[in-house]
Amino acid sequence: MNADWKPVYLEEKLTEIRADGHQGYRSRSLPTWCPGCGYFSMSEGFTIALREMGIAPENVVVVSGIGCASRFPFFVNTYGFHTLHGRTLPVATGIKQANDGLTVVAVGGDGDAFAIGAGHIPHAARRNVDITYLVFDNGIYGLTKGQTSPTSELGFKTSTSPYENGDMPLNPLMMLLSYRASWVGQAYAGRPHHLADMIARAIAHRGFSYLHILSPCVTFDKTTRTYANLDIQVCDVPDDHDRADLMAAMAMAESSDYPALGVFYEEQRPTLGDVMEEIGRRARSVPIHGGVIAAE
Amino acid sequence: MHGTDLQIAICGSAGDGTIAAGDILKRTMALMGYKVIAFDLYPAEIRGFGKCIARVRVSSEQAYSLKHHSDVLVSLHDGHAIPHVGEVRDFGAVIFDDAPIARVAEGGHMSAHVRPAQIPYGASLRAISEQASGNARGRNIAALGYLAGLYDIPPEAFQQTIMRKFAGKPEAVTEANMQAFDAGYDVGAGVFKLDDVTMEPPSYQAEGARAVMMTGNGATVRGLLDAGIECFFGYPITPATSIMERLAQEMPLRGARLLQTEDEISAIAATIGAGYAGARAATATSGPGLALMAEMLGLGVMAEVPSVIVVSQRGGPSTGMPTKTEQSDLNMAVFGASGDAQRIVLAPTNVEGCYRCAGKAFELAERHQTPVIVLLDLYLSNRYETVIPPKTNPFAPKPFEGPSVGGGPFRRFAETPTNVSPRALPGQAGGVHTITGLEHNELGRPSDLPEMHAAMSRKRHEKLIAATEHPGLTVAKRFGDEGPVPVGILGWGSTFGEILEAMFAAQAEGLPCTAMKVVMLSPLPLEHIEAFFADCTHVLVPELNYEGQFAQLICGATGKPVTRLTRATGTPMQVEDILSEVRRLAATGQPSEGETDERGLEASLS
Repeated sequence: MNADWKPVYLEEKLTEIRADGHQGYRSRSLPTWCPGCGYFSMSEGFTIALREMGIAPENVVVVSGIGCASRFPFFVNTYGFHTLHGRTLPVATGIKQANDGLTVVAVGGDGDAFAIGAGHIPHAARRNVDITYLVFDNGIYGLTKGQTSPTSELGFKTSTSPYENGDMPLNPLMMLLSYRASWVGQAYAGRPHHLADMIARAIAHRGFSYLHILSPCVTFDKTTRTYANLDIQVCDVPDDHDRADLMAAMAMAESSDYPALGVFYEEQRPTLGDVMEEIGRRARSVPIHGGVIAAE
Repeated sequence: MHGTDLQIAICGSAGDGTIAAGDILKRTMALMGYKVIAFDLYPAEIRGFGKCIARVRVSSEQAYSLKHHSDVLVSLHDGHAIPHVGEVRDFGAVIFDDAPIARVAEGGHMSAHVRPAQIPYGASLRAISEQASGNARGRNIAALGYLAGLYDIPPEAFQQTIMRKFAGKPEAVTEANMQAFDAGYDVGAGVFKLDDVTMEPPSYQAEGARAVMMTGNGATVRGLLDAGIECFFGYPITPATSIMERLAQEMPLRGARLLQTEDEISAIAATIGAGYAGARAATATSGPGLALMAEMLGLGVMAEVPSVIVVSQRGGPSTGMPTKTEQSDLNMAVFGASGDAQRIVLAPTNVEGCYRCAGKAFELAERHQTPVIVLLDLYLSNRYETVIPPKTNPFAPKPFEGPSVGGGPFRRFAETPTNVSPRALPGQAGGVHTITGLEHNELGRPSDLPEMHAAMSRKRHEKLIAATEHPGLTVAKRFGDEGPVPVGILGWGSTFGEILEAMFAAQAEGLPCTAMKVVMLSPLPLEHIEAFFADCTHVLVPELNYEGQFAQLICGATGKPVTRLTRATGTPMQVEDILSEVRRLAATGQPSEGETDERGLEASLS
């Protein structure tokens, strides 16, 4: 096994990276995404957020599933677990159960999150697991070279929907709000500074935070969710939006033609870790059957 | 005959208190120091009038399984019990409620079905209970009293158990049951005794003082707790649910965490996540759950994350028979996952083994950085046995894990002489790394180079070989005659109790016989198995599935022929069936060729 690592990228690029001050949060592998991919601004935003929050890399675990977005853990210098397609959230829940002190960030694309992994989202949200879930939504399966995803628009043409997609797309923000995620926000890869700020706010939230990140797939979608289109569609969450108002957040989520960027909803309630501590206290104060094991 | 060896079957309808009576009986006998093995059968439905049977074997010597024939049948519901009259041995007793004939349908009364060789004991159990306590609900306890009186079992031991059983209930309930018991005892003690059984004191009474009654699932829980389980994730499924239920009571007391997940996929995913973060983490399921876990199991193998998965098998395939036993998930436990995904599989053969395997599973998982499956089945999970708990905790605490000091990136999958690489846990500085289900290099970076996949595949397989020599763990054990013998019985899991009984019975008939249990099913302890084959002219492999999955595994690993004895009925193997096959092999050297009877008795492959 010869694992001597050899850089394969241009020396100038590395020099530039070393100079930008958050090298400590980057791994020595450069991203494998296509040039122009929206995921670059997400990985950039993530490293900026961690540096600004002053979280040590060894205290962060990035958990991902399968897909373009899920390659993310390889490109940051934190602990990482690149798991199975759709299983990001249960693995992240397990890590957090084992060690409350870690900052756990789950990462996935729209297929990983809302097709194969959709069954896990309501449970992570209702339990209020203190993790951050970043979903990079480009409305297409990129790693398998351009197939329809659960957030693809009606009429979208891909190799698996050559006669146009007829399946209604999901509305992820509506779903997360109805699951009572305790923090729900939206960002856009074309606004990297806002994105970095939103990632920091999502991580800072105590409880389950969901950040929906709109991103183009520059290789397999040249017509629909492009920078050009998204640039004119996105708007800001209004200044007067009440982040404690679930109904107002849902109303905003429903108008998905003009995606609003910012925090939709925010609440404080006990996390899974808090609940576990409380169960421990209750058990110790009123032991069931007074220690059943010996008597079985 | 030396000593006492009494098997009592109590049969009734759901609601008759059948299982409760069996429970009091087995606890009492265990308290008196007898070896007890008990197994209850009840319907999958919660309500209704399904048949319940509690079988309790009480022995003053060692015992390994239930017997084929019961010595006593106690009927609380003749409709259900009449089909079981045949299981009572000659000169055995049948105790039934001697209600007036006019009140039952023709042929519905037990007295019409007791065979001439059996001894009928009709007692007005309902009337005894009603007269003693003013309530017919103590009928099952009156039957116990009658049984105790009939066999001269000291009533004090029963009274103690009854007190405990109804502790927490209103005093009047305990009082009524005590009265019913005493009244039943007086009647039973006064009847004419034809049965030759007397209760000899148990031979290991001194040890019996520390003996406790446990199910296989209960012992598994105790093993996990003693090994310091920190996280458990599970989804309810028969017959594994009681593991999670018991842990849910016990873990919070120790600051450990249990979470009921949304499905089995998330249960094992979270277990692997917690294992990655350094916790001793486990999940428990049955066959259908293991099927869902297969993909994650492969990730655990590929990313080299420790985890413990307890699997209690039931009848399959698919939803199968949730409340019936079977040993048909061996293939899935040993092989189930995509790719070459070798893992460690332990299959205990009795209740004490459940404790040892569950406790050792964490050590194995950590030392070899791999998923460890502890494979039980319903007959083992739900079976009660008296076991003597160890005086000191036999399981190693979690080892301290720290990244090696040194510059450069952490080499999580570095080549080492043991093929086990240094591990770092999230939160440890200097150990930052990423693990993946993709094939990877020493750093954990994706790599699909031919030489990398070859080297890593070898590493993942070879690191497990040392597991067969893990200290303090029995991976295989031979019993019976030493040296060359005509017939050896090779077995695994819950069936091994019947195998041992059959071996002793064969020896008693003058047939030299040996038996070996294989506890570690993956990697196979080949040295032990090959030595066994070298000594045996014929190797018989009895197991509870249709195809003979263990026989296939052994044939594949050794290249040697075996005689299969398979049974796919959802019920435990019969000692008699094994014994007759041993006799046949010893006499003719030929397996019962091509013969398959209605019990699925089958022999093939030579």
